[in-house]
Amino acid sequence: MEERTIQKKHKIGSALYITLCFLFLYLPILVTMIFSFNSSKSLTRFQGFSLTWYERLFTDSEIMGAVYVSISIALLATVISTILGTITAIGLSKSRKIIKEIIINVNNIPIMNPDIVTAIGLMILFSSLKIEKGYLTMLLAHVCFCTPYVITSVYPKVRNLDPALANAAMDLGATPFQALTKVILPMIKEGIFAGVLLAFTMSFDDFVVSYFITGNGVKNISIVVYNMTRRTNPTINALSTIVILVIMITLVIVNIVPAITKKRSKKNFELEKEGIFIAQNKRLKKYAGTAAAAALIVIIVLTSYAGNKETLKIFNAGEYIDPDLITEFEKEYNCRIIYETFDSNESMYTKIMSGETYDVLVPSDYMIERLIKENQLAEIDWSSLSNSDNLNKDIMGKAFDSENKYSVPYFYGTVGILYDKTVVKEEDLKDGWNLLKNTRYKNNIYMYDSERDAFMIALKALGYSMNTDKKEEIDEAYNWLIEQRVTMNPVDVGDDVMDNMIAGNKALAVVYSGDAAYIMAENKNLEFFNPDEGTNEWFDCMVIMKSSEKMVLAHKFIDFMLDVEHATINSAFVGYTSPVEGAYQNMLETDYKGISSYTPVMGNKGNEIFRYQSAETKGYFADLWTKVKAH
Amino acid sequence: MNRKIIELKQLSKNFGEQQVLKGIDLNIYENEFLTLLGPSGCGKTTTLRIIAGFDEPSGGEVLFHGTDISKVPAYKRDVNTVFQKYALFPFLNVYDNIAFGLKIKKKDKKTIDEKVKNTLKLVGLEGFEKRGVTLLSGGQQQRIAIARALVNEPKVLLLDEPLGALDAKLRKEMQSELKKIQQEVGITFIFVTHDQEEALSMSDTVVVMNEGIIQQIGSPVDIYNEPENRFVAGFIGESNIIENAVMKHDLLVSFDGFDFECVDKGFKDNEETEVVLRPEDIDIVSPENSRIKGQVKSIAFKGVHYEIHVETPFRNYLIHTTDYFEPGLNVGLSFGPEDIHVMYKM
Repeated sequence: MEERTIQKKHKIGSALYITLCFLFLYLPILVTMIFSFNSSKSLTRFQGFSLTWYERLFTDSEIMGAVYVSISIALLATVISTILGTITAIGLSKSRKIIKEIIINVNNIPIMNPDIVTAIGLMILFSSLKIEKGYLTMLLAHVCFCTPYVITSVYPKVRNLDPALANAAMDLGATPFQALTKVILPMIKEGIFAGVLLAFTMSFDDFVVSYFITGNGVKNISIVVYNMTRRTNPTINALSTIVILVIMITLVIVNIVPAITKKRSKKNFELEKEGIFIAQNKRLKKYAGTAAAAALIVIIVLTSYAGNKETLKIFNAGEYIDPDLITEFEKEYNCRIIYETFDSNESMYTKIMSGETYDVLVPSDYMIERLIKENQLAEIDWSSLSNSDNLNKDIMGKAFDSENKYSVPYFYGTVGILYDKTVVKEEDLKDGWNLLKNTRYKNNIYMYDSERDAFMIALKALGYSMNTDKKEEIDEAYNWLIEQRVTMNPVDVGDDVMDNMIAGNKALAVVYSGDAAYIMAENKNLEFFNPDEGTNEWFDCMVIMKSSEKMVLAHKFIDFMLDVEHATINSAFVGYTSPVEGAYQNMLETDYKGISSYTPVMGNKGNEIFRYQSAETKGYFADLWTKVKAH
Repeated sequence: MNRKIIELKQLSKNFGEQQVLKGIDLNIYENEFLTLLGPSGCGKTTTLRIIAGFDEPSGGEVLFHGTDISKVPAYKRDVNTVFQKYALFPFLNVYDNIAFGLKIKKKDKKTIDEKVKNTLKLVGLEGFEKRGVTLLSGGQQQRIAIARALVNEPKVLLLDEPLGALDAKLRKEMQSELKKIQQEVGITFIFVTHDQEEALSMSDTVVVMNEGIIQQIGSPVDIYNEPENRFVAGFIGESNIIENAVMKHDLLVSFDGFDFECVDKGFKDNEETEVVLRPEDIDIVSPENSRIKGQVKSIAFKGVHYEIHVETPFRNYLIHTTDYFEPGLNVGLSFGPEDIHVMYKM
């Protein structure tokens, strides 16, 4: 009796354990799938069923392009690396023992190597060989890291192969090539199949290597998804769900089809005697082979097409344009846009300094000032911009480019505090930035994880200029930040602030006005305010690089973005305030009706624009920021 | 005698420093069952592989019907091989294994069907077409391997120790089976083995090899009864070898202090020779009836006969007899002139 209860307990225990394991493994996937059907933008709160994100997914040319790149690269890389790897493995098995051992060990190095090392190595190699980065480099890189996996999975099979088998085939009249295809390959097909699966998955989900060696706007799914995470975008969920489904279906097919065909072939035994089935089978095989070859050719042709058309290279922050506009521009001007994204002004600058060239950039104010100083930008020919009158004159002529000689506004806004009206008391707002030190909201604050914004807040709270270079003021700001950390225990966040605030996870958050508009559209409990001490007024502008050879097309693009209709679409997508007056008005009447933060409070007494920092000041800030982060 | 089908002329083969074949001269005839016999490493398998085309000779010629084929690749030669471990294609069933060569040669389906069926009948495995080869027993796999080779109707069938993996009983069966098949198809079989009994029971001609050199070529009876040297005598069956015999003159040999009449001649007078006495050719008699006297040291029962060791003042003799002798018994040894085989000294 007792024994039985113990056994029962065991059963419950093991069932529980298995359930937990499965939950741990599959819950993230399940959540992704569920939220792909969410009707709202939130990644954490389900607000009703809809297929919006699937619709978006299939109309998003950037994502569909990436799907094509991922799949075609994975297929080509798999085919090439499988052939290379299999031949190498077979050759290896016939080599001298010492050579065999050396090569097998050398082959393991790329497998053990961290991706990032492989990525940098390949990037440097391609740069030094002056190979233009893009589809070809990505394909080469994928072949490079897939081949070792194929060798590793094929070699053991080849090693265990009885050498007499190849001899037997040739003894029976097979040429060496026939012996390879009719005997050796069928014998090692499990190994090859494993290699194919490995190579395909390695290639399909590679991010690190692809990210470093790509160029000219060639992006695979991982890169696009990485860029998408800057702003919450549930199309990721839709994409992930489809990928998961495809994998599941593939697995089912791989596992079930062999069982079915076995059954069928038994049934067909009688038919086969009459030679009907064999003939059919052979024809099928031939068709499959031709189809596969045709598919490969189509991929190659599609890839090599694209040529001829004029291209325009644009470098913008991630999720900072409605991709439909790119497609539309391409159609309208019969050109191809190579669209690449960066995650900060600084990384953009690094990329430019590494010699990468673009036609149009969209940097922020202080970075524009720096680029002007360093003579990187071309002057804008305003006379060629037919839509220039659409621009709101109030936000032009700012100090970083006082006559707008080099820059055309793209989006603008402020930084302020987003608060939950149901939690934060109205009278506390008069504290301004010091609201962030009000202990009533301890453990209830999101800070923006950025050196500039953090010091801006502290300096403004203390009544100083955020462009100060006085060490004692900076030190004081540093102390303010340390004190805030100690007393308030804030959480540093990046773009995830949006999703967290949509979900209402904390009462206070430092956010950009545009992000605030986006969040407030989803969560009506929130309100946004700009502290009286003043804040950062920022301007992201379109600029043209001096090195550009596409001046006319670049101007056309800028003009295209200034069109009221286009600016409206873009502002609706991104959520940031449009400098195009008509678009701004449209948004106030539609998407962002009644949302205060869509109209940034510009021109407050203490408001400033970030300016160019001397290297010394920059270093000083950076050191202190490291200390703040370490606290 | 039949026509020559294969001639090996001064065939040599080196693997790096190692010389595996040191000048082999051999004629192989049509319809002949020829066995290459020798210990492992003697070069018999290498010889076979060179004939099959898997290895290229380092020197010498391989003539097939008079033309040199040493540079012709294996797949163009009119020979087929039965491999040591069968080397059947495990992913194909019996039918497809046997049909492999015919399909390569693009024979039409009807011909293939017919030939496969006939060959399966020849090896006694009718109705096995759809079986997977990995599920067959060793003997059945062996037959499939033979069928796979024979279905191509080669002029010469090469067999590389094909019975090595079978148990003793099955081996015996397959030996006679092979012989039967060879007679039925009427082609040349070149058979490689290290088993002397196998060689003697199946072959028309036995070629004894050692260290890359042919020691003796002859019919099984010749090889057994008239070994040309100590190696052959020692390798073929068990034997008593007397290394310090002297040929007084034709038909008289001297060893162990006595002169014996024999049937050998052609040696120089007083030439130092060796003598082989087969254990079953020596009779144990009472001491007074014999010049060679000794004592029974040990006796072991071997089924058909007893194996007896007799110690004499000069050497120990091995004797096979059906009679029992008590160890310690004083005995005499007796053999006739035809039992003494005189050989050249090695």
